[in-house]
Amino acid sequence: MSNQKKRIFQIEAFQNRVVVDPKYAEKTWKILEHAIHEIYNHNASGLSFEELYRNAYNMVLHKFGEKLYSGLVTTMTAHLKEISKSIEAAQGNLFLEELNRKWNDHNKALQMIRDILMYMDRTYIPDTHKTPVHELGLNLWRDNIIHSGKIQSRLLSTLLELVHRERTGEVIDRGLMRNIVKMLMDLGSSIYQEDFEKPFLEVSAEFYRGESQKFIECYDCGDSLKKAEIRLNEEIERVTHYLDAKSEGKITNVVEKEMIANHMMRLVHMENSGLVNMLLNDKHGDLGRMYNLFRRVPNGLAMIRDVMTSHLRETGKQLVTDAESLKDPVEYVQRLLDEKEKYDGIISLAFSNDKTFQNALNSSFEYFINLNSRSPEFISLFVDDKLRKGLKGVSEGDVEIILDKVMMIFRYLQEKDVFEKYYKQHLAKRLLSLIVKLKTACGYQYTSKLEGMFTDMKTSQDTMQGFCSSHPELTDGPTLVVQVLTTGSWPTQPSITCHLPFEMSALCEKFRSYYLGTHTDIKAIFGKGQKHELNVSTYQMCVLMLFNNADRLCYKEIEQGTAIPASDLKRCLQSMACVKGKNVLRKEPMSKDIGEDDSFFVNEKFASKFYKVKVGTVVAQKESEPEKQETRQRVEEDRKPQIEAAIVRIMKSRKVLDHNNIIAEVTKQLQSRFLANPTEIKKRIESLIEREFLERDNSDRKMYRYLA
Amino acid sequence: MGIQNDIVKFNVGGRIFQTTATTLANADRDSFFGALFDDNWDLKQPINGREFFIDRNPDCFAVLLDLLRTGDLYIPSNVPERLLYKEAMFYGLIGHVRSAKRGPFDGNRLKLSKPVTGRAPGDGTAIRAGPDGGCCVAYGSMVHVFDWMLEEHPPLNLDYQRVNDIGWVNAESVLISACERLGRGDSGMGLFSSYTGDLRYKFNVVHDNQIKSYTAGALCFSPDYKIFASCKGRSNEYGIGVWDQVTGKQIDFFYETPGWSLGEADKLQWLNGTTCLLVATLFPRKDNCYISLLDFRQKSTVWSWSDFGAPLTVDEKRARDAIAMEDCNSVCVVNEYEDLGFIDLRISGRSVRWSSRSRLMKGKMPDEPCYPKLALHNGQLFSSMNDSISVFCGPDWVLTSRLRRSYGGSICDFSIGGDRLFALHSEANVFDIWETPPTPVI
Repeated sequence: MSNQKKRIFQIEAFQNRVVVDPKYAEKTWKILEHAIHEIYNHNASGLSFEELYRNAYNMVLHKFGEKLYSGLVTTMTAHLKEISKSIEAAQGNLFLEELNRKWNDHNKALQMIRDILMYMDRTYIPDTHKTPVHELGLNLWRDNIIHSGKIQSRLLSTLLELVHRERTGEVIDRGLMRNIVKMLMDLGSSIYQEDFEKPFLEVSAEFYRGESQKFIECYDCGDSLKKAEIRLNEEIERVTHYLDAKSEGKITNVVEKEMIANHMMRLVHMENSGLVNMLLNDKHGDLGRMYNLFRRVPNGLAMIRDVMTSHLRETGKQLVTDAESLKDPVEYVQRLLDEKEKYDGIISLAFSNDKTFQNALNSSFEYFINLNSRSPEFISLFVDDKLRKGLKGVSEGDVEIILDKVMMIFRYLQEKDVFEKYYKQHLAKRLLSLIVKLKTACGYQYTSKLEGMFTDMKTSQDTMQGFCSSHPELTDGPTLVVQVLTTGSWPTQPSITCHLPFEMSALCEKFRSYYLGTHTDIKAIFGKGQKHELNVSTYQMCVLMLFNNADRLCYKEIEQGTAIPASDLKRCLQSMACVKGKNVLRKEPMSKDIGEDDSFFVNEKFASKFYKVKVGTVVAQKESEPEKQETRQRVEEDRKPQIEAAIVRIMKSRKVLDHNNIIAEVTKQLQSRFLANPTEIKKRIESLIEREFLERDNSDRKMYRYLA
Repeated sequence: MGIQNDIVKFNVGGRIFQTTATTLANADRDSFFGALFDDNWDLKQPINGREFFIDRNPDCFAVLLDLLRTGDLYIPSNVPERLLYKEAMFYGLIGHVRSAKRGPFDGNRLKLSKPVTGRAPGDGTAIRAGPDGGCCVAYGSMVHVFDWMLEEHPPLNLDYQRVNDIGWVNAESVLISACERLGRGDSGMGLFSSYTGDLRYKFNVVHDNQIKSYTAGALCFSPDYKIFASCKGRSNEYGIGVWDQVTGKQIDFFYETPGWSLGEADKLQWLNGTTCLLVATLFPRKDNCYISLLDFRQKSTVWSWSDFGAPLTVDEKRARDAIAMEDCNSVCVVNEYEDLGFIDLRISGRSVRWSSRSRLMKGKMPDEPCYPKLALHNGQLFSSMNDSISVFCGPDWVLTSRLRRSYGGSICDFSIGGDRLFALHSEANVFDIWETPPTPVI
């Protein structure tokens, strides 16, 4: 009874939840755990992907995601600890190989595990902010393998040892190195940097510090630089073979610092092999190497530049103050030119045309050339000398090159006016002496025309002064400037007469009465509303004057009014109606060429900021073929009497001579003036025979006889 | 032509399907099928003519296989949508299903997808679209969270205080602003996990090193992970509070000046590309409208507008909602007749330029008016009024579309996000989802 009394009625709570098999989660996890074991033991081929994927899916679906995730961490960690032991046990060289093999295995396993647990990776992990499976696998590898006490230091020392061996010339397994370094990079850039790159850079710095010390003591500057260059290239190559590309800048920095920056002073100033020595001996290769290496370090180029500048200034100063070189101005300038050429060569070949070096070169030259106040005079003398010599044997191109070089030196001169003064003197002397020389070389007749030209200029000036003073009433009208030129002395075309406008012809008559002459260069006052002084040619003046009486003229009217030959008139109209800025006339229709039907009128809108406007004549495109022939013919015509005179002179003294010898003699006599053409000589002989100066020998037709 | 050798045979729940590796390659690498194949889309484990068994629903598999074949989703009537989504989740094809179901959002092509009826009393306050197509809805003191499949997640509440505003910080977190709880300092705002409903942080307002209780109003987020909220404190701590999204710590407070309302603001909006926050307090919360632009760097008001003191006209027009336009050159306002007006933001002291083209319903008021709301999306302007939403386009904001549904009463709030428009109705406990149909397949 008491039992019954004690019985408490319990009402079972209504089960509204479906209770899943309490062992469900455990069972499912066992299947997955087993699969992970099999994967690590290379037995994956017996596993059903679908079954595993579905089981993992079901665990997440039934809220066992946490169990799945923590189970994965535990299982994977256990496997990695095993792997860690087997890597530790690897002996000597096998260590890296074992590490690499296990890393590859782990990656494959990780991929498979990730596939199976994909549903968890995609839904459960983002919702709970956990680490995704792949990343988790890498983190566990890092913590259990790479950072395990026995592996971490051994791995680092092995890697550094291999690099060292490669630096000392041994061949190492670069593929293996690349794989291991890649592993560190895959684990995260911070792992690569902390666990390898940083110590690698430190060890490298130490290595190169020692090596550069050795080099600098044993080798000269050029060789030390060669070694540094080789090392630099080796390191760059090493990066491409098995390091992270981002390491390139860092390791080259180390090499640059240890092998160049720290020894810059010593390298540059090294006795008998330093920079000055290289400059003196034009060692372009070494200089180029130095430039390229020093460019990589801060202030490296500035140092080369400073040393070059001070050396250049020193040598330049010696050159310009050296009493010996002052004796010969030509030699003096030649040495300056040589020095300039030498350094131009160095800068272009070794210093990759560096602008800052060019500036340093220029400032140095400017500095020392002006130390000697006679530099302008000497340069002028040098030019003078070259131009004189230029007549003999040096081609025009060569003279041109020399003059260009001199111009570069000329630019350094501060006292350019002094040069100008000297050059004027030298030019005058040269001109005069040239004419004197021509006279002595070719006779009075030869230079008379040249002298005539000088005389004409002078006489014209005097004549104009006389004309103006004798006609004081002319100051208001058009001003007339006449050059009276001796026909034949000047290379002008034969002047063709045209109808001069009334004003001009009246004026010309006045002048003609004062002096007989025709060809002119005339200034005309022109303009409506706005005044400009137009400087035009005679033809242009004639045309413009027509417009004083008419607003609009057609081509035919102008042609009739001026009687200028058609080709000249067209050119003249073109220059006044079609050239921008000088178009004092307008034409209709607007076009670039002048047609027979065009009409012209004054350009009312003509404007120019200048008061004086020079209207040029459109240049004829090319000397036409007949013109060329004409020039040529005239030259030939001039030569005929000279050849005949030579033949007569020769025959007069020889009496009898055969054809070939006459040709040879004549050619020789005339060669100072021109090269006589043998056919032309033959023609002249024929002509002389006809005029009975010579006769052919009756027995030998090739012999000529002189007839007194 | 030889024999095709990339044929794959599946046995799904007893039904045989044959397809090709090429078809399956349309699935993601990150899918069930992606895991079956190697990088060249060859089977990792050859099955030598045997079929590959999958213990799943064959009807759904058929639909999904067709999706991979054609890019088109067709769900037959015998396949429940929910089940199909579940299956798509299993295979990792949910992304394919989503993009096949709806096209990119376009206000002029929207179709009513479905109405969702909730269980809360019909007292909707706010609805906010989530970044991935889900939404959260505030009813009284409760916030209901739905994912894009419209699966409901555990509801949220902040000590069962009345909710004033809600917002998605990101796809995983929802922020709630609520009325103050008397005598408790830790009221105001809370950040919740959208999946589990767990409270992550509460946000405090500190004045003179003392935690004060406050009522949080309108919410807004800036791209540099800040949270802004209008705050009404117990002892005149009115203004805009600023918190860090990551740490949950208060980092700034902008006190309102006398005669200008900030702490009771209806709307906060961060102007992207600037350093300014738009704060709008509107009728009928206050008798007058106050709109200002705050620059938190110097704690200055860089622009402001108010209708305070303006003469009342016969057809009284009062701004009921305001939104800064996407070019940040002007603010758009709307009145109770759904007239749109614009105020130039580049010059202070400008008046509202009412746009006559968008005037729609002068004097035609229903029995129970609902205050209009504005939203902008990709150059389209949306305005809700009574039981419909109008879409305006073009430089002159011409009315181009109108979304309306016959029951549920007036629309008290709407929100656009995740390629969907959600409209919350005030009478029946229901919200509508509008979607753009996928681009037609030729």
